[in-house]
Amino acid sequence: MKRVLILGLLLAAVIAAPPLARQAQNPHVAKMSLKVGDAAPDFTLLSDQWKTVKLSDYRGKKNVFLAVYVLAFTGG
Amino acid sequence: MDSPAANAAFAKQIGVTFPLLSDMNRRMLKSYGILKGYDVQNETYEWALRANIVIDKQGIIQLIDEGDSAVDPNSALTVCTTLHKKSTAK
Repeated sequence: MKRVLILGLLLAAVIAAPPLARQAQNPHVAKMSLKVGDAAPDFTLLSDQWKTVKLSDYRGKKNVFLAVYVLAFTGG
Repeated sequence: MDSPAANAAFAKQIGVTFPLLSDMNRRMLKSYGILKGYDVQNETYEWALRANIVIDKQGIIQLIDEGDSAVDPNSALTVCTTLHKKSTAK
């Protein structure tokens, strides 16, 4: 049985997004506020099977690898 | 952000064996601080950073790679392997 659960978070904007570096002016600084050693905030999200997936459901059961991928589906 | 339907099509296309999740209302992205805003021609667009995050069984974050460093998953996989070895050694 897999000990590590991989969750792919597939993200793509529904609106035309700016080519990141060139056109973006004054990008709001976004550094992840979380750090190693912090408790991961719980979340509930819909899977591709339309089932709710809750991070806390894996507490004590599996390690979780959360991959946030932007525009993976669109090739952007 | 991609819908569950779009994710389902993608999952079928590439044959993934793990859940692909949608954050349609961006709540999770905001709570993790992954959402980034860009101002372009007086409009603000929100965009998620690429990130790899490893969370152990206790719910504690063991690794964060974000931006360019998240393109290479090897450091995350190394942490996963270490966690797995620890749990099987018990």
